[in-house]
Amino acid sequence: MSFTSAGKAAFTAALLVTAMWQAGHAATLEVELRAAGGEPVEDAVVYLRSGKTRGLPLRAADARIDQIDKTFVPLVSVVQTGTRITFPNKDNIRHHVYSFSKAKRFEIKLYADTPAKPVLFDKPGYVVMGCNIHDTMIAHLLVVDTPWFAKSDRQGRASLRDVPPGDYSLIVWYYMRPDKDALASRVSLRGDEKRTLVVKTRASE
Amino acid sequence: MNLFRFRTLQSRIFAFFFALLFVTQLGSILVTSTLGYAIVGKMLGEELQTGKRVFMRLFEQNTAFLMQGARILASDYGFREAIASNDADTIGSALDNHGDRIDADLMLFIGLDRQVYRSTATGTLDIVPGRLARLHTEAPGTRTVALVERIDGRLYQLIAVPVTAPLPIGTVIAGFRIDGALAHDIGNITHTEVSFINGNRDAPERVHASTLDGAARSDIDRALDARRIGANTISEVALNGSTYLSLRATLPAPQAQQSGVVLQKSLDQSLAPFIDLRDKLVLLGVVGLLLSGLSSLAIARGITRPIKTLAGFARKIAQGEYSEKPVVACTNEIGELAQAFGHMSGEIASRESHILQLAYSDTLTGLPNRAMFHDRLQQAIAMTGRVGKPLTVMLMDLDHFKYVNDSLGHHIGDLLLKEVALRLRSNLRDSDTVARLGGDEFAILLPTADIQNARKVVRTLLGALEQPMTIEGQIIDVRGSFGMASAPLHGTEVAGLLRCADVAMYQAKRNSSGFAEYDARYDHNTLERLSLMSELREAVENDHLVLYYQPKVDLKSSSSYSVEALVRWIHPRRGFVPPNDFIPFAEQTGYIKAITNWVLNQGIRQCADWKRAGLDVNISINISARDLMNADLPVYFASLLREHGCPPERICLEITESAILDDPTHAMDNLKRLEAIGCKLSIDDYGTGYSSLAYLKRLPVGELKIDRSFVQNMVNDPNDTVIVRSTIDLAHNLGLRVVAEGVENAAILSQLCLLGCDQAQGYFFSKPVSAADFQAWVQSSAWRDQVQVACSA
Repeated sequence: MSFTSAGKAAFTAALLVTAMWQAGHAATLEVELRAAGGEPVEDAVVYLRSGKTRGLPLRAADARIDQIDKTFVPLVSVVQTGTRITFPNKDNIRHHVYSFSKAKRFEIKLYADTPAKPVLFDKPGYVVMGCNIHDTMIAHLLVVDTPWFAKSDRQGRASLRDVPPGDYSLIVWYYMRPDKDALASRVSLRGDEKRTLVVKTRASE
Repeated sequence: MNLFRFRTLQSRIFAFFFALLFVTQLGSILVTSTLGYAIVGKMLGEELQTGKRVFMRLFEQNTAFLMQGARILASDYGFREAIASNDADTIGSALDNHGDRIDADLMLFIGLDRQVYRSTATGTLDIVPGRLARLHTEAPGTRTVALVERIDGRLYQLIAVPVTAPLPIGTVIAGFRIDGALAHDIGNITHTEVSFINGNRDAPERVHASTLDGAARSDIDRALDARRIGANTISEVALNGSTYLSLRATLPAPQAQQSGVVLQKSLDQSLAPFIDLRDKLVLLGVVGLLLSGLSSLAIARGITRPIKTLAGFARKIAQGEYSEKPVVACTNEIGELAQAFGHMSGEIASRESHILQLAYSDTLTGLPNRAMFHDRLQQAIAMTGRVGKPLTVMLMDLDHFKYVNDSLGHHIGDLLLKEVALRLRSNLRDSDTVARLGGDEFAILLPTADIQNARKVVRTLLGALEQPMTIEGQIIDVRGSFGMASAPLHGTEVAGLLRCADVAMYQAKRNSSGFAEYDARYDHNTLERLSLMSELREAVENDHLVLYYQPKVDLKSSSSYSVEALVRWIHPRRGFVPPNDFIPFAEQTGYIKAITNWVLNQGIRQCADWKRAGLDVNISINISARDLMNADLPVYFASLLREHGCPPERICLEITESAILDDPTHAMDNLKRLEAIGCKLSIDDYGTGYSSLAYLKRLPVGELKIDRSFVQNMVNDPNDTVIVRSTIDLAHNLGLRVVAEGVENAAILSQLCLLGCDQAQGYFFSKPVSAADFQAWVQSSAWRDQVQVACSA
């Protein structure tokens, strides 16, 4: 996961809010994601949801998805509902980023450099974005209505930090199976915890 | 003329040229046809392969065309937006719009939810979206798919392009209808017949659309069923009875289906110019064959006709026709051959006529010879055999001709023969044939005369010959003996008739009768005579012969006597056989020699025996004409005399007058040798042979025996008395002793005494008797008295 410095700042601010909300009680959930064969699964999204998670203040106000070498970077992003994402064009050609997804329909017509306005993702859901000019460019974005989410790294590890103790649904989403129901498991978080989850990686599974 | 038997030159020439041309023509036709077929086949094959490549390129172009349209649509932002917003109207119009651009017959969008959107042109096709949608939904992100698909009974070339936003949201499908129009379009470009075929798992491939008509499509269907149309190799398929070279190409289709195209070109159509050429060649060939056949026939005839003419001419020569000349109007080698033939024919004709003359005529007299006489007799027998009329053949032999030849010379003899020939010829009708058979032997054929007519003719001929002939100043008397035989009375074959005539002639000669008719009794070659021959031989070997003795009484001394030994045959079964029954026969067959030898032996021995017994008697022994010709006779005679110890002067050999005249030269030789031995010689039967006493004078004989025919009639016939008297006188003048035979009574005896005859012999004294009886006769005195009585008167 590579956030921009602006993102880091927003994220830090969010953490602080949460810490203040439940100071002294924050816990970290380490999730290890593995495929059926045991290999680590990268770019899988995990998030915790409960009746209290909706409407919580943004832990990070904005995010960024770059276009580098006709590729969206990162391929998979996860943001909290209400986050604004900028789409800086790092290539020297123009891109036409669009999405027909229900969670967010938008287009940024042919542009270079960073568009003037970031795009607000105000509805939770899956948004797939492409470039109208370059068919191969695809970016997956999951908009979640909770501040506690994370994306697995190359080792398949994702850390959900500063989570107030409580009962949550732990949900896993993988971009290769965007329309399938995310895997849910119940978590009663009282302190730091580690979980290992098996992820179905193939679209037809 | 049979052309198909290749034996004749003509048919060979004809066959050769005909076959030569036939083979050449056939070869050129075959080569043209084969080459044409090969060239056309190869050409068409290449055209089909090219057609296939062109078709595939066209098909790919169409695919690309469809792909372009479909892709543009699939990537159109507005279109995708319309899909995203479920804007059916916009989707439909976008499909129409892009469909029109590429003139697609079918333009669809099938969403992931299997919702089908269609262009107006697509109409209300019954589209089963699942099958098409599955193309992409089951393998999301799959690239463009090109295929041939059967939709609602129609065949389409389809392109399926996925629509992404940016993940797949559906499929745009664009298609062209594959139908007759397309087949015709492609056919016009590739210059082939184009048939689109389609089938599936459950139904065999069938022609879906084609440039060909229905019947041809059925033929293609059958060929497909038989898997006779290959994708790589050209195959021949009969459509509507004409041959098409065929090649197929498989088109991309979903797994369950098979689609393809069959390209075909008519072989017959392409072969048509070659077939036309072949037909013309065949026509040309037939005309050529006809012309060459006719001309080779003409040439062959030009060669063979003169040859046939010559062959016919040669056959005529072979049959003996020389009159014609070969008519061959050629100036070439055959003409020369014909001339040579003509010349040869003439030469052969002249030579043959000469040979014929030599072969069939007698050069001396100009009369036909024996060969021609045989021929004519043969023909005459055949003729009379057919009409059933008799003919008569005569043989004539001049009497004593050898005597004429010997005494007067061959020249006179030849002239005599010519004269005889002339007389015979001039006294016969033209239809009669006179031939000289050889020597003094003549033959006469009276082709229409029976034996009675022949008698008249023979008397005329005898009369003609009796007229004295004057040859080179000499008057010559000739007489001939004629023997006659008649067909069919005496035989119906040449050899048989001539033999009969011969027998008759000898009979005439023996009887001095001038002529005789054939009488089987005189025929010595009858079966009876043949058995007689063997019996006679047996008699000689077994001493069945016996010598009888007849005394010859001396009229001057009346007490002297001698004896003539006469052979008798006492046959064991037949008894006494008269000498006339076997002596002439033995003379003719030559067996007389053995008999004479036997007689000589017996006679000489008897003479020696009697001498030893005190009976001094001279014995006369008869020698035949044939014996006289036997050069061994004197030697044998001398050896017998020595053997029995008999003085030669006791033996007297009697030779008939005619025996000497038959061949006087040889006779004279032997007579001289016998005389030298010391025996006496006597002429027997004098008066029957017409020999002149002048001739007899030259012979070394001492005795003459007057033939009994003169003696027996002497008492009644004064002429005979004159003959006997003059004979006795002449003989005495020549110093010859005279013996009279046939003395049968005292009157004759006394007359003979008066005429001065030296000896007499006859029944008046004694018949021939055995040796013992003869001895008894000698003892009796009766005969002495008889002589005394007769001669003293």
